[in-house]
Amino acid sequence: MFSAEARPLLHSAAWRISAWAALAYALGTLIVFVSLHLYVASDIERRDDAWLTGEVEVLGDVAERTPKGALYQRVVEEVAELASHEVPNRVAGESAPKDAVFFLETDTQGKLVIWVGPGKSDPFLDQLRPSHAGNDAPFTIQTMGFSLPYRVVRTHIDDGSTIYLGLSDRDQLRVLHMFRLRFALLWGLLVLFGFAIVFATTRRMLGRVLSISEAAARIDQNDLSARVPASLRKDEIGQLAQTLNRMLDRIEAAMHQLHTITGALAHDLRSPLTAVRGNLELSLTAAEGATRQEAIIVCMEELDRLVDFLNTALDVAEAKADALRLNREPIELDQMLRSMAELYEPSMNERGLTLRLECTEPIQITGDLALLHRLFANLLNNEMVHLSTGHAVTMRLWREGQLVRFSMEDNGAGFAADVLERVFEQRVRGAGSKGHGLGLAFVDAVARAHGGTVHAANGRSGGARILFTLPAQSGQGTD
Amino acid sequence: MRLLLVEDELDIQSFLKSSLEEAGYQVAAASDGKTAELLAVDGVFDILVVDLGLPDMDGISLILKLRQLGVRAPVLILSARRSVDDRVRGLEQGGDDYLTKPFALAELLARLRNLLKRNSPTGNEATKLRVLDLELDLLRREATRSGEVLQLTSQEFVLLEYLCRNAGRVVTRSMILDKVWGMRIQPDTNVVDVHIYRLRGKVDGKGQAPLIKTLRGVGYVLGGS
Repeated sequence: MFSAEARPLLHSAAWRISAWAALAYALGTLIVFVSLHLYVASDIERRDDAWLTGEVEVLGDVAERTPKGALYQRVVEEVAELASHEVPNRVAGESAPKDAVFFLETDTQGKLVIWVGPGKSDPFLDQLRPSHAGNDAPFTIQTMGFSLPYRVVRTHIDDGSTIYLGLSDRDQLRVLHMFRLRFALLWGLLVLFGFAIVFATTRRMLGRVLSISEAAARIDQNDLSARVPASLRKDEIGQLAQTLNRMLDRIEAAMHQLHTITGALAHDLRSPLTAVRGNLELSLTAAEGATRQEAIIVCMEELDRLVDFLNTALDVAEAKADALRLNREPIELDQMLRSMAELYEPSMNERGLTLRLECTEPIQITGDLALLHRLFANLLNNEMVHLSTGHAVTMRLWREGQLVRFSMEDNGAGFAADVLERVFEQRVRGAGSKGHGLGLAFVDAVARAHGGTVHAANGRSGGARILFTLPAQSGQGTD
Repeated sequence: MRLLLVEDELDIQSFLKSSLEEAGYQVAAASDGKTAELLAVDGVFDILVVDLGLPDMDGISLILKLRQLGVRAPVLILSARRSVDDRVRGLEQGGDDYLTKPFALAELLARLRNLLKRNSPTGNEATKLRVLDLELDLLRREATRSGEVLQLTSQEFVLLEYLCRNAGRVVTRSMILDKVWGMRIQPDTNVVDVHIYRLRGKVDGKGQAPLIKTLRGVGYVLGGS
C-alpha cells in the first residue's frame, strides 16, 4: 500500500499538475509582458521624436532669426545647451550627462558650422552625410566611439544650411531596462507564487482522494462495514466519497441478501431432499406394501415441489438479470382471468373463501401467456395460503388510457408492516409462511419483463392489496 | 410401435427404455447422435424421443439431419432447459412436441400417443365416447351414466371428456391443467383436485362403482384397467 511519504514528490500528480499550470501561467504572463514592452518602447520613441521635432523647430527658428555674425554661434550654442537640459525620460535630480544630446549645423556644402556635443564632430558628420535624403523623419544613427545609438531629427533653414539635433537612446534604453528588470523579478515571484498555490491545493485535493483510496483498499470481503471518510463538502471529491459509500452500502446489502438467500436455499433444498431420502429408505425396508407405496408417493410429491421451486428460483434470477425470454402473443386478459377464477374458485370455496372478478370490458394485451398464467396462479395461491376462512378476494381488471390495471384485494389481515416494504424481494416471507418466499418476487419479475409494475399495499379496509399495471400494448418490448 | 430413444444419460435412458417397453413400445436406444443416425436410417421407426443435449451434436441438428435423410416419424424432444428456445418452438410448429425435464412418465406417454395420433389421421372423429356405463355425447355436450343424465357445467364436461379420451391411462394434474384449462402451470395447491372431487361427486353416484380413481402423487385415471 502507498502512503503519502513513500511516494516521491516528483512523481506525484500534484507536482505534475502544478508544473504544467505554472508553465502555462509563465507563458501567459510572458506574452503579456512582451506586448507591453513593445508598446512602451514604441511610445517612448514616439515621445522622444516629438521632443526632438519640437526642439529642432525652436533651434531652426533661433538660427534663422539670429543674424549670422560673431554672436550667432554663441546664441545657438546657448539654446542647444538649454535644450539638452530638458531631455525626456531623465531621472529627476540627475545631472545631464554630457553625451545626452548633440547639436550640429552644416552649411549648404555640408561643411560643419556649429557643433555642440560630446567629443569630436567628425564621426557624427560621417554618419549624417550619407543620410542627406529628402525626408525629415526622425532616424537613428550609430556613431563610432559611442556604444549607444542616437535618434536624430534635422531641419533645413532658408539660408541652405541644415540643423541636426540628436538625442542619445541611453535614457530610453535605461527606462526599458528597468522595466524588464522589474518585470523579470515580479514574473519570477508570480510564477513561484502560482506554482505554490496550485501545488498546495492539488496536493490537498489529491490527499483526500488518496485517503479515500487507502480506506477503500482496507475494505475487503471480510469487512464490508468500513466506509471511506466522507467530508461534508459537496465538491467532486466529497461526491466521490459519498458515491463510494453508497456503492458499499449496496454491496453490503447484496452480500447480506446473498447470505440470507443461500442459507434459506440450503434449507429449502435440504428439507425435501431429507424427506425423499428417508421415505425411499422406508420404502426399501417397510414390510407392508401400503407403507411402501405411501413413502414413494411422498417422495414424488416432494420432488415435484422441489422442481417447482427450482424453476421459480431460476425464473426470478433470470428476470432480475433481465434475461427472462418472453414469447409474446395477443392475450384476452379478461377471458384468461375468468378461466383462472373458474379454476381457483372451487378450491377457494373449499377453504371458506370467496373469489370475485370484476371486469366490464374485453381487454387485450400482448404478453407471455405461460408467464402470466403463472403470475396470476402465484397471486391466487398466495391468497389461498395466507387468507383465513371467511374472507373474500376481489380481482378487478380495468383500462386506464394506455394502461391496463389489475388489482387483487382481500379483506384479511393485510401485510405485516415489516414485510410490506420488502414484499417483492426474494426470500422475503411473512411470519409463519410455508412458501419459499419467491412468489411475489416472481410476480414482480414478470411484471417488469412485460414493462409493467406491481405494488403491494394494505387497502382501506386493512386487507392486502396488489396492484399490477401493464402497458396495453407491451409489444414494443425487446422480444 | 417402434420407438427410437436418443438419450445420453444412461440412468435416464434405461428407466425410459423399461417404462416405454412396459407401455408397449419396441424401443431402440442410442446414446449419441451418430448411433442414432445409423439406427434411424437402418430401421423404420414410428416415433422418436430425442434429448437436446447430446455429447456429439445438438439434438436439433440431429433432428434436422434425420429429416433431410427422409425420416418422417414425429419427434418428442426432451429438454433440460426450462425455457424452450425458439428453434424447438420452430420444430413444434412442424408437428413435433417437447417436454422439459423432469417430467411425469404419464405425461411422456400421453404426448407420445398424441403425436402418433396426429400423424395417422383416423377418419371421422367419433361423436360419442363410452367408458363402461358412462357415455358422452360430444355433439349435444351431454353425459349420461347408466342412462341417467349428469348435470355438468361446460367446464366439467370438458374435464370429463379429457378423462374419457384417456380412459384407462393416468393423467397428471399438469396434463389436466394444460389440456382442459390451457395453462402450463405447476399448481402447488389442490386446485385441480377440487374440480376432480366435484366431478366425481356427480359422476360416481351412490351405490355406483367409482369411475374416477386417484393415484396419489401421480394423478387420476378414469375407468378400470
